[in-house]
Amino acid sequence: MSSKRKLTSYQEKLAQATREAKATFAALLATIVAWIVLGFGLSGLDVQLFHTPLWVVGGTIGTWLFAIAVCVFLEKRVFEDIDLDDVAEGDTGGVVLAEGGVAHE
Amino acid sequence: MNSFAGLLPVVVFLVFALVAAVIARQRAKARAKDGFVAEYFIGSRGLGAFVLAMTTIATYGSVSSFVGGPGQAWSIGWGWVYMATVQVTTLFLLYGILGKKMALVSRRLGAVTVIDVIRQRYQSNALAVAAALVMITFFATTMIAQFVGGAKLFEYVTGYSYTLGLCIFGITAILFTSIGGFRGVAVTDALCGVAMLVGIGVLAWGILSAGGGYAAVMDTIATNHPEMMEPLSGGNMPIGLYFTQWLLVGVFTFALPQSVVRTFAYKDTKALHLAMVWGTVILGAMMIGVTSLGVLSAGVLTEPLEAYGGSVDNIIPQAIVSTLPPWLAGIAIVGPIAASVSTVSSLLIAASSAVVKDLWLHASEARGAAVSETIVARSSQIITLAIGAVVFVLSIVPPDVIWRINMFAFGGLETAFVWVLLGALFWKRANATGALLSMVGGVAAYCVAMALGFKIFGLHQITIGITVALILMVVGSLTSKPTEERALEPFFG
Repeated sequence: MSSKRKLTSYQEKLAQATREAKATFAALLATIVAWIVLGFGLSGLDVQLFHTPLWVVGGTIGTWLFAIAVCVFLEKRVFEDIDLDDVAEGDTGGVVLAEGGVAHE
Repeated sequence: MNSFAGLLPVVVFLVFALVAAVIARQRAKARAKDGFVAEYFIGSRGLGAFVLAMTTIATYGSVSSFVGGPGQAWSIGWGWVYMATVQVTTLFLLYGILGKKMALVSRRLGAVTVIDVIRQRYQSNALAVAAALVMITFFATTMIAQFVGGAKLFEYVTGYSYTLGLCIFGITAILFTSIGGFRGVAVTDALCGVAMLVGIGVLAWGILSAGGGYAAVMDTIATNHPEMMEPLSGGNMPIGLYFTQWLLVGVFTFALPQSVVRTFAYKDTKALHLAMVWGTVILGAMMIGVTSLGVLSAGVLTEPLEAYGGSVDNIIPQAIVSTLPPWLAGIAIVGPIAASVSTVSSLLIAASSAVVKDLWLHASEARGAAVSETIVARSSQIITLAIGAVVFVLSIVPPDVIWRINMFAFGGLETAFVWVLLGALFWKRANATGALLSMVGGVAAYCVAMALGFKIFGLHQITIGITVALILMVVGSLTSKPTEERALEPFFG
């Protein structure tokens, strides 16, 4: 499940977002490896599926399915639900907010 | 020959999209809790999973995905589809790397545009102005390519004039963007995404029927062009091209500002997670599907390129005309026209936000002049309309080879924003000097290399732009004063 524990502080939420970004980068590397193996890696085989070279099936549909599996893994095992609404109110961390803001009527 | 049957589905679709945008805007007006600007430019951060996924896909998937790319696939073969598959990474990269942190930071800062975030992170107006100008320039280039691609396709398939096609869907796109704002764009993007999938399905049926079934089509290709069944396509698809396409349409796409702004706009992280999974399913089907149609067209369009007007941009329109009856051809072209319209509308609203929010409102605030929301509301719609009108007029004289123009703008935007955004969110030491040098120097190096046709190891000029931008970001940041701690708090806690 994506919801494991409730992250309450802004600091914790940022740290979680950074963890997720790193995991996503690792997922990209894994997908690149899968793309190479399933495409170029299979291109030496003289095998066809439904009149289609095996490397085409592996490199396209295989990579696509791998990417979907990666997304499911990230969603289930890495990403966490974060409450986004409570970060906008109250403390702004001492930052001067947008100079280009609009004057609401 | 003019085909009213071919015209009708396009008109029906565009009217439907216009009505949907108006309804979305009317409903949103009633519940706009954060004021006009937040509603008009990011839909009050209320997008659910389906609309988030579809608006990101439809923004990314352009007419070049439907016309130029498959046209190249007709010429090169399955290697082009293999290359196009790298696009399955784009959604999870965007949502996974920037999605959550941008949502947190933009809410914390009350930011409505990507440039809002950049301005506050780097505390630099010069950088914000440079970013706005880069965005507007490359967005305009991309929009022209979309208009031209859609109108050429329309002319080829329906027999009506290029200008009529441009008027019909160009004016509709500009109108529904001006009236509907971001929420209208997101809703029509979802409709466009569905239309794109339907278009792919219809054309696939046409090509396979005309070619005697999948097996017969594949056998024809293997017999006529055996090199099209190889990943390197007999030398037409070199490794260097795979590498640079990975960068251009894969790895660095998460930095495209028109996509990044969508990470400000979703309502909760459940929506983001679902959009990532289902968006990857849909995007893969769309990109692999539509590019495969280009290859399969080689099984029915067997003459040399000269027989089809000498341009690969004519292949998909020719496939539609050759394999489908007029009424189905009309349905098939709704797909690429929807791709064109959805990309234009997303870029138009983002360009408008750069002018209204990042340049005009910021300058007003700096002078201490508050601008009333009524004036902002009217001006935003007028400016959106005006930018659209300028792009429309520039599109009346058509350039050639759409996918290259699109790739030029992709490369420029990625060069400008990738290190600036990554530095903003993940590298404390990144500062205004480094960011400004990276954006301006990187884009300049990229454009000069493109203009001169200069390449290193035969690789696309994106490699030059990205490398120069990275070096300048690192050297500029490390040799000048760090950003003040208080400005870093929303980004690093």
